[in-house]
Amino acid sequence: MKLSLRRKITGGFALLLILVILLGWVTLSLFGSLRTIQRSIFDEAVPGVVAVDEIVRSYTAQSAAVRGFLIVNQERLLEQYRDEVRQAERWQDAAERLFTGERERDLLAQLIEAGDSYQGLVDDRVIPLASEGRRASAFQVLGSEGASLISEIEFLGSELRAAQDEIVAQTRSDLVARSNQALAILLLVILGALFLGSTVAVALPRRLVANLQRLVDAARAIGRGDFNQKLEIRSGDEVEELARRFGEMQSGLKRLQQLALQDRELEIAASIQRNLLQRTLPTTPGITIVPTQRQANLVGGDWYDVDVAHDALTVVVGDASGKGIGAALMATVVLSVLRAERGLGSNPRRVVERANDALREATDHDSFTTLVYAEVQPDGTARWLNMGHPPPFVIRGAIDVDDRRRGYFAEGPRNRALGWFEDPGLAEVEVKLQPGDRLVLFTDGFLEAKSPEGETFGEPRFADAMIELAQLDAASLGDELTAVVERYAAGKLDDDLTMIVVEYLGAPAEVAAEGRLSGEEQWHSRR
Amino acid sequence: MAQQKVDIAIEDAQGYKVLRPSGDLDVYTVGSLRDAIGSMIDQKTTKVVVDLDGVPFMDSSGLGALMGGVRRLREAGGDLAIACTREQHLKLFTITGFGEGVSIAPTVEEAAKGFKG
Repeated sequence: MKLSLRRKITGGFALLLILVILLGWVTLSLFGSLRTIQRSIFDEAVPGVVAVDEIVRSYTAQSAAVRGFLIVNQERLLEQYRDEVRQAERWQDAAERLFTGERERDLLAQLIEAGDSYQGLVDDRVIPLASEGRRASAFQVLGSEGASLISEIEFLGSELRAAQDEIVAQTRSDLVARSNQALAILLLVILGALFLGSTVAVALPRRLVANLQRLVDAARAIGRGDFNQKLEIRSGDEVEELARRFGEMQSGLKRLQQLALQDRELEIAASIQRNLLQRTLPTTPGITIVPTQRQANLVGGDWYDVDVAHDALTVVVGDASGKGIGAALMATVVLSVLRAERGLGSNPRRVVERANDALREATDHDSFTTLVYAEVQPDGTARWLNMGHPPPFVIRGAIDVDDRRRGYFAEGPRNRALGWFEDPGLAEVEVKLQPGDRLVLFTDGFLEAKSPEGETFGEPRFADAMIELAQLDAASLGDELTAVVERYAAGKLDDDLTMIVVEYLGAPAEVAAEGRLSGEEQWHSRR
Repeated sequence: MAQQKVDIAIEDAQGYKVLRPSGDLDVYTVGSLRDAIGSMIDQKTTKVVVDLDGVPFMDSSGLGALMGGVRRLREAGGDLAIACTREQHLKLFTITGFGEGVSIAPTVEEAAKGFKG
């Protein structure tokens, strides 16, 4: 059930209020019914009994007064009789108002009738007989008829009193029963109210507090750097909403942390890669070298190395597998070995062999490095070892009849990537460069760059673009091709793009002697 | 590096298991393949064919993970073979020399025939 916290609290208070009102109402109605019963006893039953008693007493008194009159013949006693008759009438009127039950009214009617008969007997026969002086006859009439009427009156009076007593007793037991019932109901209502009230007062805050405690614990865990808190709160209120937002915040923080770590890692990797780059390139007469490097978003493991010894130029372009710090460090290992071995005067085969050994020693099973290790002699002879790397691209300086240059991937014997095999193979490729020819070494980032549709740039596009751009000078070629590939990938490069354009101008002596010719060749290349 | 997942289906074949990754195998996803091969070794399955039919793109990280798999499985007394018909991957195997010494064939069954040991 989805209920907001505000509604739960308001609902709880409303429920308590309803319970209090119910309790009050039950109590009031119980007191009301008790008072009704009390009233029926004190206002009706008790006065009824009193009235009956008074009626009976009055007739007894009438009888006594008449008897006394007959004996002593005093007017005072006759007055007393008449007084009692009036009193009897008054009480009879009162009783008629008080008695409502059928039986009581019936008994009362009989009683009044008996009373009327007795008074009729006294007024019509006894007193006239006494006035005539026939007291004995009067006594006889009173004794024979009057006594039986008085007995009937007394009998009816006791019947009426018994009936009234029964009513009082019944009402009393009703009162007790109703009181007990009222107490039971009151008790039940109080218990119910207590139960509901305590459920609302205890359960709601307890659940709320428990859920909040879980949130607090999760927040503490985040404070300790643990972003894997699972918060499943299904309370349907603001706390559930809070827990959900908390989860979102947690994954946001986790992502931020990952990004921060990743950024840091990439920063380190990029700085390693930058430090590997040569700040100044050695120069050699007759050869122009132009390196281009574009770091990918993730920083690949591309590197290059240029060296000149005994007029021969060494150019190496390599690519360590993977990305980030791991790849950058692997590049460092290879570069260190290359430079160290070259320093010792080793030939290219030996240098590459040592680099393979070092990689096998230093890196894990999954890592490898591909490279092209090329040497260009002053006479234009280019020789290289291709260790699992894309083949270099050669652009011929001569211009074809269709005003275009020719270019091709210089495939040849290839060897295996470094870091995997004990014997990666050390076959060499040899190409003779003519003045104006270019040897382009590059990494697979150019070939594997993906368009937004997921299609790779590939070798055919690379070759076409190379020939298209071949008219540019060596200094612009790499930058322009990089721009083409970046456009193709819509700016999203997953791998580094590294390229070294080596342009052979001619043998140093010839270059010096035929400077103009060389310049002409360069002019051609610029067209 | 933030790791993403590539779905890898595992199938039982006679005497070996087939791993079928679906999605790019690159620096982001390669951890999944490495883990899958690791758990094969933990479960004493040492002969594995990786079917690259569902892998449209693979970079040097993916290739590295495959080579690492070959090495680890061979050290455990088994082997890793590759079923692949995609030109792009085959070219990568050829360029780097990975294909030499590893069984690579168009179908899983043919690749499995080339298990060493």
